Parts: sequence; C-alpha cells; structure tokens
Amino acid sequence: MSIELEPARPLPKQNGGNRKLGLAARIRRNAALQRKLEGSLFIAPWVFGFLVFVAFPLVYSLYMSFHQVRITVTGVQTTPVGLAYYREILFADGGLLYDDLMPFLREALVMIPIILVFSLMIAILLNMKFAGRTMFRVIFFLPVIFASGQIITEFMNQGEGSLGVISSLRIDYMLARYLPASWAGPISNVIGSFVLVLWYSGVQILIFLAGRQTIARSVYEAARIDGADPWSTFWKITLPGMVPFIFLNLIYTIVDLFTYPSNPIISKVTTENYGVSSALAWIYFMIVLLFVGLALLIYSRVNRSLSPTR
Amino acid sequence: MIRSSLGRLGLFKTKAEEAASGQRLTASHRAAGRRRSDFSLRAVRSRLFGLEADKGLLFRIILYILLIDVAFIYLKPVIYMVTTMVKAAPDLLDPAVIWVPTAIYGGHLAEALQMLNYARSFGISLSVATLSAVFQVFSCAVAGYAFARLEFPLKKLWFGALLFTFIMPPQVTILPSILLFKELGWINTFLPMIVPTLFGHGLKGALFVLIFRQFFSTLPKEMEEAARIDGAGSLRIFFRVMLPISRSAIVVVFLFSFVWAWNDAYFPSMYMFGAQDVPLSVGLSKLNAQLAMEAQEGGLRAFLEPVKMAASFLIILPLLVLYAFTQRWFVEGVERTGLVE
Repeated sequence: MSIELEPARPLPKQNGGNRKLGLAARIRRNAALQRKLEGSLFIAPWVFGFLVFVAFPLVYSLYMSFHQVRITVTGVQTTPVGLAYYREILFADGGLLYDDLMPFLREALVMIPIILVFSLMIAILLNMKFAGRTMFRVIFFLPVIFASGQIITEFMNQGEGSLGVISSLRIDYMLARYLPASWAGPISNVIGSFVLVLWYSGVQILIFLAGRQTIARSVYEAARIDGADPWSTFWKITLPGMVPFIFLNLIYTIVDLFTYPSNPIISKVTTENYGVSSALAWIYFMIVLLFVGLALLIYSRVNRSLSPTR
Repeated sequence: MIRSSLGRLGLFKTKAEEAASGQRLTASHRAAGRRRSDFSLRAVRSRLFGLEADKGLLFRIILYILLIDVAFIYLKPVIYMVTTMVKAAPDLLDPAVIWVPTAIYGGHLAEALQMLNYARSFGISLSVATLSAVFQVFSCAVAGYAFARLEFPLKKLWFGALLFTFIMPPQVTILPSILLFKELGWINTFLPMIVPTLFGHGLKGALFVLIFRQFFSTLPKEMEEAARIDGAGSLRIFFRVMLPISRSAIVVVFLFSFVWAWNDAYFPSMYMFGAQDVPLSVGLSKLNAQLAMEAQEGGLRAFLEPVKMAASFLIILPLLVLYAFTQRWFVEGVERTGLVE
C-alpha cells in the first residue's frame, strides 16, 4: 500500500520540491503504519482470546489424545500411547462412536433439508404484506428463545414433539415396511419429533428473512411488468437470489446440529478419561469439518454454474 | 454532527421507501378495481391466484392456514406449560380437563420456586447472561470492525482462525479448558463463562464477530473517510461514528448473546460441577434428578409434570419479558442490519 503511494524517484535537479514530496510520502507512509497499528490494537484482544481460549486448548487436547492422562494432586501426568486411543475408537470398540454416530448422522441428513425448506418457506411467507404480520413475526421468533435451552428437552419429554396426524396415519408402519431398517429408524425418529425440527429453525428463519431483504424490490417490479407469474418469479428471482443464504444456513445448521449439547457424541466427552475423550472429540471434529467442507464444495459448484446466467 | 445528519438521512430514506410502497399499493388496488369490472375467466383467475404472489385470494387463504398452523405448533408447548402448572390435583386427574383448569393453583409454582432456589439462581443467571451479553456486544463489535475495515498483519490468517472457531465444536477444547481454568482457580465460579467474552470469545462469540463484520462492511465507507479527513483516529471513528449507528446489530447480538448465555447448561455444568449456587439452566436438570430420585424412593409427590412445567416456566419467564420489551427493535434490527451480508 505504502509503496504505491510513494512518488517516483526524485530527480536531482528539483531539490526544493523534492524534499516536500519526500516529506509527504513519509507522512503518508506514517499514516499507513499508524492505520496498521490501530488495526492491530483493535484486533489484539480477539487474537489474545483466540490464543488463550481456543488455540492453546486445541493443541493441548490434540496432545492429550495421544497420551494417557492422569490428573494428580501435583499436576497432570501424561504417558504417550501413540495412536492407541484412535485405533480403539475407530476399529476395536465400535460402541463409543458408531452406535450413536450413524443413527445421528442419518437423522441429521434427513433433518437438514427439512429445516432449510421449512425455514425458507416461512421466511418468504413472513416477508409478504398481510394483516397480522407483526404478530406472526413475534411468534415465529419464539423458537430462538426456547430452542437453545433445557426447556426444549423438557417439552420433548412431554410428548410435545410429535404431531397427532402422523401417528393416526400410521406412517411409522409404512416406513418400516418400505425402507431398510437402518433408515426407517432415523426417519421415523425425525418424523416423530417433527415439531423439534420446526423448533430448530428459529435462527434459520431469521437469516432467510434478512437475506430476502437484500433482493431489490425493483427486480420484482421489473418481473411483474414483464408479466412473470408468481411461480416463475419465485424460481427465477427469489431462489437464485437466496442461494448464498441457503448455503449460509446449511453451514449454520450443520454447525448447530453437530455442536448441540444434547447430541449423543458430545455427551460422551467427559472428564472421566481425558485421553479417550480428546481423541473422540477430535474424530468428531474431523467429521464436522468433512460435512462443512462438503457443503462449501457444493456451494462453489452451484455458484459457478449460476454466475454466468446472473 | 455526523451522527445527527446520518440519522436524518436514514429517516429520510425510510420515509421515501414508505411513500414508494404506498404508491405501489394504491396502484395495484386501482388495477384490481379495473379487473373486477369485467367478468371474464381471466378476472376470476387473477382474483384467485393474483398477478403477484401475495395478491391472490386463494393464496391468502393458504398463507393464513399455513402460518396459523405453524404458529400453533410453536405456541402449544407454551400454553401447555402454563396451563399444566396451575392445575391442582383434581384437575390433573380429571380427564375432562385438558386445557382450561377449573381453578388456579399456585402450589406447584411455589414448590418449583423453592426447589430451584430461585432467588439465588436467578441472580447468578442474570449476572452471567447480562455480563456476557454486554462484553460480547462490545468485544465482538471491536473485532468485527477490525475484520471489516481495518488493516493489520496476517489478516487472512486471523480470519481463517475466526471461521475455524465458528465451526469447531466446543467439546474439542472443553477438557483442556477445564484444566486451564482449574489452574487459574476459576472452577466452580462463573468466571470461565465471563472472561472469554471479554475477548470476543465465549459462547458463539465467533458468530457474533461475523455478524458485526457483516454489518460494518455494509455501511458506506464515505462517512469514515470524511471523519478520517477531519483528523479522527480509528478509535474515535469507531466510538463516535460506527457504534452509534449500529444499534440494530447491537440489539440483535445482545439479545442472542443474552438468551444463549441464559439457556446454556453445558458450560456451567462442565465448569461449575461442584458449585452450590448454579445458574437456572443447570438448576432444571438438578431439579429433574431430584424429582426422579424422590419418585424412586416411593413418591411423595404424585405429580411430577406440573412442578417441572412450573420450573420451566420460571426459567423462561425472564426471557419472555425481555423479548416482549425488545421484540420491536429486534424484528426491525433483523430486517435492517446485515444480519447477513
């Protein structure tokens, strides 16, 4: 930056003008340096926090996952065990990871599209002008308050999670009949707690609502003047415009579902055995990264295929 | 000066927008009136489906059915919670009483109050949530501003670190954090929940930094440049120009932060496992355990549900009150800020 601002090498003849120019450049360079310093000042607390509360524990937990950890009165004793814990979790003892992880992953795969479609639909509806819109918005933001707490589990225990329609239509039975058992279970679980899925959509609705505001009204006006019907307006304007937010929501949903404290894997990370728990947490983290990476990959593909038409 | 002129500018813009939308509305009404006059098939069709997505009669009906259905799904547990907790024993046993109790009974509420140790737990929850919300609003705004507008060394690397923090499940770092806080002597206090928020971390801190970054990068650059030409440094610009106009983002982050800190039971249960006084969110699971134990020992209490519901209600009530007061700004803030882009 500062190099660009610097004037060309001064000619030896114009001595007076030269000194002035050099001074100006120095002042400008000083200003740039000062801006960098100010920027560093602004980011310093965050960087400090990152190093202490994220980077250090992260590295330490990676270290612990390769060691047997004993907490004694005098301090922490570690003996290296190499990859033993990873091997144990991944290959020897499936109970810790696979028994809970596989059904959970299947459930997540069913839940994520439902959450996305549902929240997109609600956000588009809430964005329209109709009587009582404010009241509906207040109600639809309620999940943001409830869904993060213990309360939601409490509601689930009361059987508030299921819809009466589903049990009366005997959908469980149909599923069990036409799908393999490994998928029928998670799907009927999701359907059984369908309300829970709706409850998880609070923040997603907010993101879509805010995202919908970024599509200019003039585009819709133009489409209307050109005689586009609502159906094609949705598919040609609203949906392509929402693609970035759909992916933002996809990533948010993945992160949210996978870091939710009541998630089966997460509850296995305990203080009982630091080494095994750390290894488990790391394996789990890699799975989360894999999912997020997959979402990003799809996003870049979709974006590339959409961009020439836009 | 700058602030007031900006405010006027913002006001002007919204008024202009309103006027524009009003014009549009009357125009479409007029069009609808013209349509009504001829009774062709097209007129019926346009009445039913509308020329725009949100104008057709049929669509309106579907819209309301959908919204009312979903709203009911959201409200039902709340209604259930409130009605169950005021039901006395006869009402609970009477199969004819489903929603509306015959008499309002406060016994369950009193019991839950006492079992949760409400006054103390409430104080702890309130201070933890308020402190972390205030700190996070401030520190995340500072960091978000730096990421959006300022230059500093290794910016790309730190931004990568921010995204990494957002994606990372807290469980990866929880155990070393426990050891770290134990070393510092903060276990069983609420410091482990508060101190990281001072630095823009803590519960979902990365998300808030991202929200602020997004918000600040949507603001026009001209104001800052004007202030900079007038000789203001970054600090001054941030406090005098940027913070005052970011009310909507502040409200959104504050509310999210408060609600999530209030509801979070995971971190308190990990860091305060041995503490006497716990936040309300942990209190609920303690209460559950206590009730389950009593039930096993021979059940002094016939009805667990009402007590649990009363406890849930007591925990959620402050949030509902807060939301009732801030909901207007919140809804507006979500719309107007770049909560996203």
